[in-house]
Amino acid sequence: MKCVRCLTDNASKVAEAPDGSKAWEVYFCNRCDFVWRSSEEPEVIDPDKRDPWFQMADVEVEDIPVFSPVPPLRK
Amino acid sequence: MGENSLRGFLEKLEKAGQLVHYTDEVIPEPEIRRIGRAAVDIAAGNTGPAVLIENIKGYKGKRVAINVLGTWANNAVMLGMDKDTPLKEQFYAFAERWAGGSDGELKWIENAPCQEVKVTKDINLYELLPLFRVNKYDGGFYFSKASVVTRDPEEPDNVDKQNVGMYRIQVQGPDTLGIQVLPFHDGGIHLRKAEEMGVALPVAICLGVHPVNSLMASAPLNFDQSEYKYAAAFMGEPQVLTKTLSGNLDVPAYAEIVLEGEFVPRERYPEGPFGEFPGSYSGSRRQFRIKLNAVTTRKNPIFENLYVGRPWTEHDTLIGLNTSATLYFQLRETMPEVKAVNALYQHGLTIIVATDNRFGCYAKTVAMRLASTPHGTNYAKNIIMVDGDVDPFNLVQVMWALSTRVRPQKDVIVIPNTPGMPLDPCSEPPGIGGKLIIDATTPAPPEIARDVRMVDSIPEAEAYQKILIDLQKKAAK
Ligand SMILES: [Zn+2]
Repeated sequence: MKCVRCLTDNASKVAEAPDGSKAWEVYFCNRCDFVWRSSEEPEVIDPDKRDPWFQMADVEVEDIPVFSPVPPLRK
Repeated sequence: MGENSLRGFLEKLEKAGQLVHYTDEVIPEPEIRRIGRAAVDIAAGNTGPAVLIENIKGYKGKRVAINVLGTWANNAVMLGMDKDTPLKEQFYAFAERWAGGSDGELKWIENAPCQEVKVTKDINLYELLPLFRVNKYDGGFYFSKASVVTRDPEEPDNVDKQNVGMYRIQVQGPDTLGIQVLPFHDGGIHLRKAEEMGVALPVAICLGVHPVNSLMASAPLNFDQSEYKYAAAFMGEPQVLTKTLSGNLDVPAYAEIVLEGEFVPRERYPEGPFGEFPGSYSGSRRQFRIKLNAVTTRKNPIFENLYVGRPWTEHDTLIGLNTSATLYFQLRETMPEVKAVNALYQHGLTIIVATDNRFGCYAKTVAMRLASTPHGTNYAKNIIMVDGDVDPFNLVQVMWALSTRVRPQKDVIVIPNTPGMPLDPCSEPPGIGGKLIIDATTPAPPEIARDVRMVDSIPEAEAYQKILIDLQKKAAK
């Protein structure tokens, strides 16, 4: 299904309310690693209402800066 | 301090009237965030309680603890002091324990409480733990108060080089985590070595520990100093540990929850954003990933997390006095005139130092010394110097010193283009900054102050405070 942050088709359901109440489900995008719960506020889970500053539709994963570079392997 | 556990500490808080049970049903978002925010906001981080949230929609039977060390009243309870103890007295008590060093005793037990329940298959953190989004635009549900244990892959049997650090952790897949480990942190050194060797570094993540363990995990100790030995010295009793199921790592035996796994070597994955302690979001970065192989817990575990965001938050309380005490001892090594250091603000981006002037303009030298300590190099952006008899934790006194001592043309110094702190939202480019020194001390010879007489402080009045407070308590009954 569609990720609410990067808008690609890489998200899937990873959990339901463990008490059996069906109160919500949790979704995970394995492209941008965004996670959301179906019961959250519209500004968090509705792509049209999310702050565009936090959206990642136009971002390639390869272009996201690396915080700690991978060091060379020891010989 | 009891069984040096979170539960033992919560009992102490409850006795002191600093723990409340929230039993009305809450939805995970946004209500847990709001409760955490509210608890620390009461009296601006001074008197609010820890909160046990016991009725979470979809997570029936699971519990969240928040704001455990969020306020100074709770910090006083941790130090074994009356919850009304003024901050300066808490600072001296903290510094005294801090000076206890790293010679505390370690003790190992088997069949530890933290392993009463073991999950080694089909791990799904979203179902096991009552996770929640800390701030609205965080990239996911974060562990904001996790102690992360690693060993040096070159010396896996060296307990002193085992590191316990606090890093932000994003739950990503049901059994995968994204984690930000800074390269210059001890854990970052372990990770770099493991990646150079091409091996997966084992890791344990402890959630729900005694606050002293969290303090040590968030403190900048040296590479070969054991956080557990420090914690034991600080608490004045042995630190009780147990071995992880899958390896050679030591975890607090009474931890509520322990996640065991390995770093995925030589790969990076998106993580963030996350609302950070300066009150701004850090951006998305590609960071380390951890794959879990076991989750162990106590029976009916308490999931502890902290609210961090716009200050004041528990993050500030947690790191405030250890940052202050570290700088205090570093300055006093050569400058015994220093009386106290308040580095509570944004991890010491703003610092107030109380010092006597050995001679004219000496306070400015103390400020430069502060700016060149390891922590002050990137932090210590705004440095305020006050006289030794001014309480730097009492902002009314600090404002008085600024109002009546500062001669703008002589006492305000700006040093441009120095190292800065990347998380400081106005550090531009990130990592570059400047220093501001405001010297609000009284001039000392050979500098000559204007001939005025200041009104004496009245230290004898302090004893009467207690009498008046007791009378006030009686009057309220
Ligand atoms: Zn996505």
